[in-house]
Amino acid sequence: MSNKISHQGVSRRHFLSSLGFGTAGMVLLGSYGFVIRRDHSTGTVRAIAVNFDECAGCRTCEAVCSAYNHMESVNGRMVNGIGNPALSNIRVYHYNPDIDIPSTCALCNDAPCVEACPVDPDPETGYRALYRDPELLTITNDRERCIGCGSCADACRELRAGIIRSNPEIGNPEHMCTLCGGDPQCVKYCPFDALSYVVMDDDRNLDGLSPRKLAAKMIEKLYNIRVTETQL
Amino acid sequence: MSTKGYYGRMLEVDLTAMSSKVTMIPDEDIKKFIGGRGLGTKILFDRLKPGTDPLSPENILMFMSGPFSGLPIPSSSRTCVVTKSPRTSPLSPQFKSGSTVSYSNMGGFFGPELRFAGYDALLITGKAEKPVYIRIHNDRVTIEDAGEYWGMGTDSFDKTFHREVGEGRWESCYIGPAGENLVPMACIINTAARAAGRGGTGCVMGSKNLKAVVVKGNKMPNIARLENYNDLLEKVRQSFMKKDEGVMSWRYGGTTDALASSSRAGTQAVKNYSEGTFGEIEKIGTEANRKEIWKRDFACYACQLACKKSGYAKGAYNVQVHDSPEYETGTMLGANLLISDLNGLHRLIELADDLGIDIISVGNTTGFLMEAYERGDIDREFLDGIDLTWGNVEATIELMHKISKREGIGEPASKGVKELAGIIGKGSDQYAIHVKGHELAAWNIPVNSDSWAVCYATSNRGACHMNGGNARRQDSACLRDSLGACSFASSWYRGELQYQNFLKAITGLEWSDEEFNRAGERIFNLEKMFNYREGFRREDDFIPEKFFVNKFTFGEHAGAIVDRAKFQENMDSYYEGRGWHKDTSRPTDETLGRLGLSFTI
Repeated sequence: MSNKISHQGVSRRHFLSSLGFGTAGMVLLGSYGFVIRRDHSTGTVRAIAVNFDECAGCRTCEAVCSAYNHMESVNGRMVNGIGNPALSNIRVYHYNPDIDIPSTCALCNDAPCVEACPVDPDPETGYRALYRDPELLTITNDRERCIGCGSCADACRELRAGIIRSNPEIGNPEHMCTLCGGDPQCVKYCPFDALSYVVMDDDRNLDGLSPRKLAAKMIEKLYNIRVTETQL
Repeated sequence: MSTKGYYGRMLEVDLTAMSSKVTMIPDEDIKKFIGGRGLGTKILFDRLKPGTDPLSPENILMFMSGPFSGLPIPSSSRTCVVTKSPRTSPLSPQFKSGSTVSYSNMGGFFGPELRFAGYDALLITGKAEKPVYIRIHNDRVTIEDAGEYWGMGTDSFDKTFHREVGEGRWESCYIGPAGENLVPMACIINTAARAAGRGGTGCVMGSKNLKAVVVKGNKMPNIARLENYNDLLEKVRQSFMKKDEGVMSWRYGGTTDALASSSRAGTQAVKNYSEGTFGEIEKIGTEANRKEIWKRDFACYACQLACKKSGYAKGAYNVQVHDSPEYETGTMLGANLLISDLNGLHRLIELADDLGIDIISVGNTTGFLMEAYERGDIDREFLDGIDLTWGNVEATIELMHKISKREGIGEPASKGVKELAGIIGKGSDQYAIHVKGHELAAWNIPVNSDSWAVCYATSNRGACHMNGGNARRQDSACLRDSLGACSFASSWYRGELQYQNFLKAITGLEWSDEEFNRAGERIFNLEKMFNYREGFRREDDFIPEKFFVNKFTFGEHAGAIVDRAKFQENMDSYYEGRGWHKDTSRPTDETLGRLGLSFTI
């Protein structure tokens, strides 16, 4: 699959065409005006799951995420970029006592980031400036309509893992997981099998996703050392 | 426009003037010296006057990345600290402060982050009036007050600082109390465990009143042939991802596996190098640690081997284990001191890391004092009342504290075995296990002496186990240390995946195999010329007398000893092979000319 997810216009067309062809998925209308496609064969949301027991903190995931999602043109061909970890959507945080916490977009079922978007839904698509891509259910930004207010980033930071960060220049949200068009590179290249691309439970717990909270839990589990979030 | 794959930019901080500036690296130096250890030595050679006091403001403390640093090439994230050594001295000094080059290599994330901030190198000169740390956030460079951190152990610093520095992911390296107190064998630590351990780097940092350097950035240099590079990267990743026995063995045991295998092979430093085999090695080996201590494996940036182990050791001491025992630390504070109490060993390693002391040198020095005490060459009074017997954990802890404060016996002991032997006399220099003033590491010489004796005797930073036992290996090590590549992973970089092919793709420059290897030779020769200028001669390329007079008594290799005549023969042929004068050890003018080093003449 091509890297179409990062190109909002392409995915919107794809969404419309998938409706037209009446794909196997059941289409649900979300309560906030965005659309989630529920596919019987795959469940509701597939996303990146982290096995915190296996991560060795090498940050290969960051390099491959960045390389795939920020391709470069070489002689007219788009090829993987250099892999600058600052551009990666997945991020590994390290702490002392020693633990590494990969942190990436959970594609939350209730998507507080989308809910926080103050831009009126597009009458045609029902999308706000932040919406769920109908194909992969990834959280996608419509750059043309985004006002760069940062509400989505605030919601993510306050309620979830703080994945979304605003572009320092134009303010639009960045670092939502694209699932690399269905072939997540972080999962493919994780040398320690700490990442997997799996169906998420509808009722999964989306609290306590902040890296510090997870680190405190893991430190107690591994070393039997109790630390509070603020001590990390 | 600099060479592709580099910024060509060095950040220079002057702590006397409290200022910083960016200077450019000449393209010619990049092609000739590559980066890391090589480029650092070139800068040191160009800028330092012979005989410069290593603890003076004039000495330069360099944090050198390599062209691989920050690129996700597996196991290539190393940072080389280059400076003039406060540890070494020639037998016949020409200067009050004649000493060798010092290069010390650390893994982790610091070198990559320095590159993300937009620099290939960080050079620090001068001396701050008060304790400071340097904060680098891309182009924003500030020198900050470190008063509140001064005196902190490295573990506390790591925890406290990273909590206080604020949002985001900063990478840092720092010294402990030993470096602050100008202990010559002090080291620089990052992530509370990884160390630029050898050659007194932490002492030089302390002499500048510099507690820490922290860095964060979001850039990357350009690559010349991206498709070619991507292709090589994919292939090398796939080769690691086969997870063959080699990969899995690094993950399972790291270098700790060598504790048992080296002991069996008779190549371990045991009882101050009197023996090559330790009967109780299994008590501190991989299986014991897997069972009792280790909870998790850790990797450096983009590494697939994850040889660092963390855990928790319970017993007489409760120890949060950041990285131990690996082969060097487990041998130098374990086998070499006849310590097989696993909990005690973890306590010693943790303490040395927290104080910021080079474990190889402090383990070696402690072993020397234990031998001197056993022989009766020193008494308990000399040791400030410490009953420094073999295997004594408590006594070793006490000594280490004193060394970190340079208090009582800790003052001469902080300077290592050469200094101590000079004070003690009574022929103790025969069992003072150093070369050029720098203590030997955990690999013992007599079994495989052809290789190990040459390795230690000819190392340009004083005794060093990573030097290589022949010219070819030494030149390869120079190249790895200059690229930022890790020696543990070198066997994956063969054939199509050899380092020079990556370098060609990154820079777009052509390197024939011969040219690439010659760069390694050039770097080694430049270091040699730096040392020669400082007054080091062939007589300084020795191995300690003990190896010629002491026979192993224990294990399969009982009776092993180094043949003196054979050693001199090997050294003669080494110098001949190198194109160096046998009488002085100086590279010939012809050799220097061939390597493009005529400027050193």
